[in-house]
Amino acid sequence: MLTDKNLILTRAEPNGNGGVQFLYKVAGYGVSAINRPQEEISQLNWELEILKYADGESIKFEVCHNTDLADKTLVFYNDKSVNEFLEKAFSYFEELGSLENMLDK
Amino acid sequence: MSTQTASKVPEGKPADWVPAGDLQEVVDPEWLMHEAPRTTEFITGSEAAREAIRRCNVDVAISYPITPQSETMQQAGYLYDEGHIKEYYRAEEEIGTMSAIAGASRAGVRSLTATSGPGLMRGLEAISSWPGARTPVVLLNMCRVINTPLAIQPDNIEISFLLNTGMLHAHGENQQDFYDYTLAAFMVSEEVDVTLPATVSVDGFFVTHARGHVSMTDPKYKLPPRDGWRSAVPAMDNENPPARISRDAPIQKSNFISYHMHASWQQEVFAAVRRSAKYWRKYLGDLIEVVNPGAKEMIIASGAAVSQARECVRQSEEKGIEVGLIKVKTIRPFPEEEILNAVQGAERIYVPEFNQAGWLHKEVCSTLYGKCKADIIAGPRVYGGMTMPTELLLDWMAEGRKDNPSYTF
Repeated sequence: MLTDKNLILTRAEPNGNGGVQFLYKVAGYGVSAINRPQEEISQLNWELEILKYADGESIKFEVCHNTDLADKTLVFYNDKSVNEFLEKAFSYFEELGSLENMLDK
Repeated sequence: MSTQTASKVPEGKPADWVPAGDLQEVVDPEWLMHEAPRTTEFITGSEAAREAIRRCNVDVAISYPITPQSETMQQAGYLYDEGHIKEYYRAEEEIGTMSAIAGASRAGVRSLTATSGPGLMRGLEAISSWPGARTPVVLLNMCRVINTPLAIQPDNIEISFLLNTGMLHAHGENQQDFYDYTLAAFMVSEEVDVTLPATVSVDGFFVTHARGHVSMTDPKYKLPPRDGWRSAVPAMDNENPPARISRDAPIQKSNFISYHMHASWQQEVFAAVRRSAKYWRKYLGDLIEVVNPGAKEMIIASGAAVSQARECVRQSEEKGIEVGLIKVKTIRPFPEEEILNAVQGAERIYVPEFNQAGWLHKEVCSTLYGKCKADIIAGPRVYGGMTMPTELLLDWMAEGRKDNPSYTF
């Protein structure tokens, strides 16, 4: 099971391909974790994207491939490795958010 | 504890082997559905079906593999190996499957089968005979394209072929529904004033091969066994079958008596479908789920289209537009009264579907004809394995708000 920490929305994969999407958000950044239908049901396959949210309220975001976390779509094969990556990402986002706030000021 | 024990140790099992089903505790079905503690797992629809079957005290399962049903019945095979299903075999094809499982059910035991699109069409002659024979078989149907060009992707047109057979029919949105509806289906179908087969359909791949959160009870509990003598027609002694089981002269000969008998028999079947509503309500809470009641724009959907509609409702809210959603849980009985009440105040109703025929749109139209002033807008419809992105539904609704939409309804 993926962590509920910083989880803001669980929804059906919005492009209609089946499966489920988990959206996490920390300091304007976040992670999308998608689990799609697959032929071999015993395997687990997570596709993760780093996101930059457009504003504080809506669920509008852009895929962000220019952080130190990832420059491409990431694939994980079990929940544990996803949760470990999420913890790392949350810390990174908090730090990044703090730096951006300092720049704004 | 169950009082049922295996008559002999199966080949390959140790001498002291005890079927896992014998170690489960029989509990009250309502307690199991509504009160028993549950834990949540992130599993596929096929695995959710397996976990439901584990708790259903199934006596006999017969099936023939077809994508995307195969994975579920492979999982059922594991249950047979563990001793949760007493008998299980692969038939030669679907006519054989659907005929054999009817025989098992007539004998008074709890019977399960499963298929998908083309397999369902092949078995349809036998399936159509189940309701009249009052066989409470449960059929798990993982929807799939049936027509040419061939595809193995989700498309639920096959549901339209089951609508007027006299079967009960629930259409699940997700993995959780596949678990809950399967448990409910056995209990409803075996009620003495129902005694009808029940289909639980889900959209193949989107539910069967994808994962979702499923809240489940402890596997140590199971449903009570079927009581074959507590039914609308008595169970048949298959060791001494009646010689003229379906060849009684008044039924078979073409005369006015046979016509009247057939008509009254079928009237009773469809009356039993309606009577089943109270039991579905008992286990599922209601025949529909309503999101944003009283909204001027409503979406009516079943199956995987509900999930896409939920996101459409959420995104519309972000834009300041209130959209309601009616999730139809049971197709038979069709929740006419509930839908009629839920759409009071609606000005536009959209019916998105994963099939070409628009069977749900037709059901909604015939239910609301003359009783509701809302425009009932068909679609969007996707089929043949096409996806239904949320944007498609949002665009469809935006077009429906115009005075002269570019599409006709």
